[in-house]
This record gives sequence, structure tokens and C-alpha cells, in this order.
Amino acid sequence: MTATTSASRAAAARRSPSQRVNVLHAAERYALVGLVLAVAVFFSTWPDSAATFPTAANLRILAANQAVTVLLALAVLLPLVAGHFDFSVGAVAASSSVVCAGLMQNHGTPLTLAILAALGTGMAVGLANGVAVAYLQMNAFVSTLAVATLLGGFIQWYTAGQAISNNIAPSLVAFGSGTWAGVPRPIVVVAFVALLAWYFLNHTPYGRALYAVGENDRAAKLVGIPTRGYTLLSFVGAGTTASIAGIVLTARTAGATADNGTTMLFPALAAVFLGATAIRPGRFNVWGTVFGVTLVALSVSGLTLAGAADWVEPVFNGGALAVAVGLSSYLRRRALGGGA
Amino acid sequence: MTLVLEATGLAKHFGGTPALADAAIRVRQGTVHALLGGNGSGKSTLIKCLAGVHTADAGSVSIRGEQLAAADLTPRRAHATGLRFVHQDLGLFDGLTIAENFALDDRFPTNRVGGIRWRALHDRVADLLTRYGIGAGPSTPVGALRPATKTLVAIARALQDQDGNEFILLLDEPTASLPDAESRALMRALRQRADAGQTIVLVSHRLPEVLSVADDFTVFRDGRVAASLVSDDPSEDELVQLITGRAPVSQLTPGVRSRGRVVLEVRGLVSGPLDDLDLSVSEGEIVGIAGLLGSGRSTLLSSIFGAKRPVRGTVTLEGADITGQPIRVTMQRGVALVPESRLRDAAFASMSLRENASAAVLRRYFAGWMRYRTERTDTRDLMQRFGVKAQSSEAQLSTLSGGNQQKLVLARWLRRNPRLLLLDEPTQGVDAGARADIHRTIRSYVAEGCAVLVASSDFTELAQLCDRVAVLQRGRVAVSVTGDDLTADRLTELVQKENVIA
Repeated sequence: MTATTSASRAAAARRSPSQRVNVLHAAERYALVGLVLAVAVFFSTWPDSAATFPTAANLRILAANQAVTVLLALAVLLPLVAGHFDFSVGAVAASSSVVCAGLMQNHGTPLTLAILAALGTGMAVGLANGVAVAYLQMNAFVSTLAVATLLGGFIQWYTAGQAISNNIAPSLVAFGSGTWAGVPRPIVVVAFVALLAWYFLNHTPYGRALYAVGENDRAAKLVGIPTRGYTLLSFVGAGTTASIAGIVLTARTAGATADNGTTMLFPALAAVFLGATAIRPGRFNVWGTVFGVTLVALSVSGLTLAGAADWVEPVFNGGALAVAVGLSSYLRRRALGGGA
Repeated sequence: MTLVLEATGLAKHFGGTPALADAAIRVRQGTVHALLGGNGSGKSTLIKCLAGVHTADAGSVSIRGEQLAAADLTPRRAHATGLRFVHQDLGLFDGLTIAENFALDDRFPTNRVGGIRWRALHDRVADLLTRYGIGAGPSTPVGALRPATKTLVAIARALQDQDGNEFILLLDEPTASLPDAESRALMRALRQRADAGQTIVLVSHRLPEVLSVADDFTVFRDGRVAASLVSDDPSEDELVQLITGRAPVSQLTPGVRSRGRVVLEVRGLVSGPLDDLDLSVSEGEIVGIAGLLGSGRSTLLSSIFGAKRPVRGTVTLEGADITGQPIRVTMQRGVALVPESRLRDAAFASMSLRENASAAVLRRYFAGWMRYRTERTDTRDLMQRFGVKAQSSEAQLSTLSGGNQQKLVLARWLRRNPRLLLLDEPTQGVDAGARADIHRTIRSYVAEGCAVLVASSDFTELAQLCDRVAVLQRGRVAVSVTGDDLTADRLTELVQKENVIA
């Protein structure tokens, strides 16, 4: 009798720490999701924003507006998994938007062709980035920044600082503002791209190998992973995804501006790093990234509705990026710090 | 002789698991005290408690006459009482000069306006370097030093502010990444320091070198002191038995096996330091590669594997020419390489055991999607088969001890059933128990008909493990040793005394 009690007590004592650890892990994985919910509940009940925030119309606008950011974040995510920054995705989206709208306005190009040209632009820039980083061993941080600046210059030259808004195919504009079964159409595209990215990163040998390259390039090479080719592909993926973002941007704004896309980059970057604190803590991942965008978007929208000034948004984005980088590197450090 | 460091009743728990229970150590002034034990035996925990990195749960410590509770030790306190630690990674800045490294650890001597008095710094450091018998000047960049000298520089730096020999030096695995000749040089220097009165506590896995230098031994097993020997001269087997708690296993002298078919044939290989090298390995054979640092041991393995393209010569695997083929192709043909530096070349540290184990067989799990469940089951099977101790297949690789990590890397490759297994320093930084396990695993695979080529700077290991050892000199196989001739001493002699052969 006593023997069983003490044995079961001992078993309980053995079990409880690991259970506590599991609870902590779950809490950590879903902390960001919880935060998203908390922010949503807060702005739905806060008197200043409660009237408009929780309405279907607001959420729909919000979601549609964030489509570009999510796509850009997913674009940043791919090379980041392999351990490289791509700062050109904002500029690639802006250039694709200019190519798409410019072809329609200035050359009367049919929509399909204009979209293909925009995608081609993204792919080509991605390829150039990939060759520079994977084969010419250039520092991704600097080389993609160079590419971004270069593209900004081309946009300036092509648009001469003017917005492009004539002759935009009506079907594209309809796509940008319309819904399917209540869901904004751009969000359907985002969902498709996110699922695709998730499939590639989590459910193909390519995705696994890419994480391995990001973790330890030399070791990846020594288990037979073609590290250069895979890194190159991740940049091509980033360029292509960024150009999809550019097309969605054209559809949302019914044209293109002379903006160089830098302002679009940082919220996306913040989302990816925020995302690395959730779902798979310490690792850049697709669903974490989506939640990251959602958190930033809900917070900024709520604050704006509550009458906060214009400067709140960049301050919030900057703050979120700093916190996200701090948290994700802390998680990573802790992950590596184990062992006796 | 007087005790300068005494710790008693030390206890430390991590979560529910005790890492140290009633541990004790007594260090005598002017001796080399070896701290031995397998990975996870508690010796690292003890060192970290003394350094104040971990806070002990219980126990008391007396350092040079000063009594204090072990829980009160902080890094600052430990430093103030005269404990000096040098860790495996040394903490030196390769790009800076010796003098700069010294000053960064202590302080830069400055003049009134805050400028650095370089002359004073260099004079002081030059003086220290002579005292420690380091044949380099204060303005030599640390990166240019040979490994043993680097370690000595780190030691001299740690002890730079002592007047006589009053500090206690604690070295945590200083030789884990040093080749044999380098670690012997370091051991000689340590012995000299101890003879001059310096107290040294040494943590190491390499028993022969420990035996060559230590006066006293404290052996840890499962968080407890398994034995403490004062002024003793135990044999290596006795120590292994104390460390593992069982009789040594790898004593079986490999007999000369009947040669099977030739698996690997290397002809006229020119690559890096290798110059016109010939070598062949047959089915069921373990061939060792011995040679000094820089003799081309690793180059040979990576040239066969395809990680390095040879300049000339041919590499044939079971009749097929694989010279200069990329890794993907050599892997397909059945070549596997366990690289020398686990951390740099094999480990995906923050990824799970599962992901590490399947890194070389990813396609097996792809069926339109990744079959995670099968992957997990397979990893658990592998962990059991190769004796990898870990909480689960999802634990991060970095949470494992060195020995367990190495077993997992071995498992990663052996699950591919390679025809030719290339091993580069397979048991570097691995404890005695894991080392025996790894040797056993290699043997059992060879018995199934694969061929193994092992490069190692540990001659005891080569002598125990191999059927034949090729000694590299001047870029080629100078001599091959088999049978009764194959002993660690004989190998040492052959490798060192180049002129004997030439």
C-alpha cells in the first residue's frame, strides 16, 4: 500500500516538471495567436473604436489592405529560411506594379500579358539576386539593398514621378475590390500563396533542406544538399511572390505610383520576425508570419480608428520589429543553450 | 602538501534530475588534478558551480583558506578568490595580437589623457610570454599561432595578474580539438607549470594524456564521486572501468581478416598536401590513416567523398570511377563521410534529432508530402539502435551531450547502409563510454561487409579499431602497419620519426 503510494507519488513528481514544460511550450507557440485575439477583443470593446472596428466592412477592408503586406512577408520569408535577407522585395513589388500598370496605360497591353510581364520582372530580379548571393557569394544584405535602390531609380525614370492610372483593365480593378462569398478576392490569392509556401517549406524535401542550409550551410553541403541551387531558388521564389504582391497592389489601387516600395518592406519584415516567435518558436515559419501581419494590422487599424495620429503607425511598426527581433533571437539563443 | 581547493557535499538539481549529489573534490597545491567522467557525469556541472555559472543547491567550498557556502559563489566571487578558468573555446580573438588579447581580458594601461601605453603593455606581455615558454612576441596575431601555443596563451592570459603561483587554474577540455602532437606539447607545458608550483585542475576525455600529467584523480559517475585517487598511477583500463562502471570493452585485438573484394581503390591521388597517393580498402576491412597535422588525412577523405576535387589521380569505388564526382553522386554510390568537426560540418544544432537523423535521406519521406509520423518512428528506432540518449526524437540536437550527438551523426550515415564509410576523428571530444559504443557500432557494420577508412590523431583509437593503418608522410602512404606491429606506441614512433622511414 505504502509502496504503491510512494511509487505513484514518485511517478507524479517525475511527470509534473515535463508537463509544466509542455504547457509552457504550448503557451509560447500560441502566445502570438492569443495576442491577436486580445488586441481584437480590446478594440472591439474600447469605446473609441468599438463602433467601427468589429464590423464586417472594416475587417474586410483591413484584410484586403493587408494582402500586399502578407505576400511581401512570405516573399521575405523564403530566403530568410536559407539564412539570407532580401531587402529588394518591396522594390520588386513596386516595379512589378509599374510594369503591369505601365504596359496597360502606355502600350495598351492586354491584362494577361501585363500580369505575365510583371511576374517575369519579379522572377528575373529574384534570379539576379540568387546568382549574386548563391554563386557570386555576395553579401545578401548589401546586394539586395543595392538592387532595391537600383529598381527605385528605374521606377523614378519610367514614371517621371507621375502615377499610372489610365487604361487599367476593369477586371483587375474589380478583382482588387471585389469579394468571393464575402471574402476579399486578394485574400484568396494570399491564402493560396501561403498554402503553397507552407507546402514547400514544411512538406517537401526542398523546404527541409532549405531550413538545413539556413542552419548550417557547410553541414548541408556535406549531406548532399545542393546548397547553391536551393538558395538561388529561394530568391527566385521571393522575387515571384513579390511580383504577385505588386499585381495585387495594382489591382487594389487601380494603378501604380512612383513609390519605390521601401515603406512596404518594413511591416513585412516585422511580421516575419514576429512570426518566428510563434507556432515553431525560434524558426521562421509561414503561419507565424501570417499571424504577425494580422497582429500589426489589427493594432494599427484599431489605433487609427480610435483617433491616433499618423505617426503612430510607423512607430508601432518599428517597435514591433524591434521586439520581434529581440524575442526571436532570444528564443534561438535559448534553444541553443541547452545541454550540460 | 596543503589543500588549496576543497569542495564538499556539493549538490545541484536541474528540474527534477540531480546533476550532482554529495560531490567532493580536494586539490593539493602545485599538483595537476584530473577531473574525469563521461558526458553527463557531473564534472562540467561541478566546474560551472565553482565558476559561479550555476548556483549549487548545497555544499561548502574552501578556496585558499577562505570558507564559503557553495551557493554564494558568483563569477565575480570565484575570480576574487583566485579561481581562473580556461574553457575549450579559449575565448581568444584570432584577429588581434597577443598583447591586445591580454589587455582586453584585464585592461589597457593608459596614460593621463587616456591613450594606450603600448610600450608598457608589450613589455609586460613579452615578460609573461617568456615565463610561460611561449615562443612568440606580443605583437604576433593569435590566429598565426599553432593550437597548443594558443592554449598556452589563453592560460598565461588567465593567470596574468598573479604574483607567484597562488591562483588555481581550471582547464575545461583544453585538448578536445587539438591533434595528438599538439596536446602532448600542451601537457608537457602544464607539467612544467605544476612543477613550478602552479595548481591545475584538468578536465579531459583523453586518458593517455591525463595519465601522463596528473598527480591526483577525481572520477565522476552519475553525479557522484566514483573514486578519488591521491598521488596515484592508475592504468588506463582501471580509469575506464571507474568512468564507465564496467570493464573496458574495446580490448579485442582485431585479427587479420581474410580480405574480401576491393571496395575503394585510390591511385596517384594529388590533392592539397597529398602527392601521388595510392591506397586500397577491401570489404570488411577497417583501415586507419595516421599522420601529423597537415599531412592530408582530412584532405584524403574529402577528396574521396567529393567535397574536394583532386588535381590528379583516380578514385575507384567497386570498379566505378568516381574521381571528382560531386557529393550527391558519391553518396548514391554508397560513400558516407562523418566529418571531423561535428559542430561546423555535421550538426544542425537547433534542429531536432529527427531532422538531423533524416538529413541525408530526405527523399525517402516524401510521398507528395513529408511523412512525419514514419520519420519519427524511424528516428526513435535509430536512437535505440545506436544508443542515443535523449528525451524524444523532437529534442534539439544542441541539448545532447557530445557523445550522443556524434552517435546520431553516425546513425545519419549508417542508415544509408554505405559501402564505404569515411570517418574523420570519429570520437573527438567524446567520453569513454560513448567512444566504446561508437567503436562497437563501426565494427558490427564492417562485419556486414562494408569498408571503413578512419582518419584519427588518436593512435590508441587507431590501434584498437583498425585492421591496418597507413601512415601518411610527404603526401603518400609511407608505410602500412598490421597485426602485432599495430600499437599506439609504434604508430607514434612511425609518425614522429620521419627519418626512420625515409
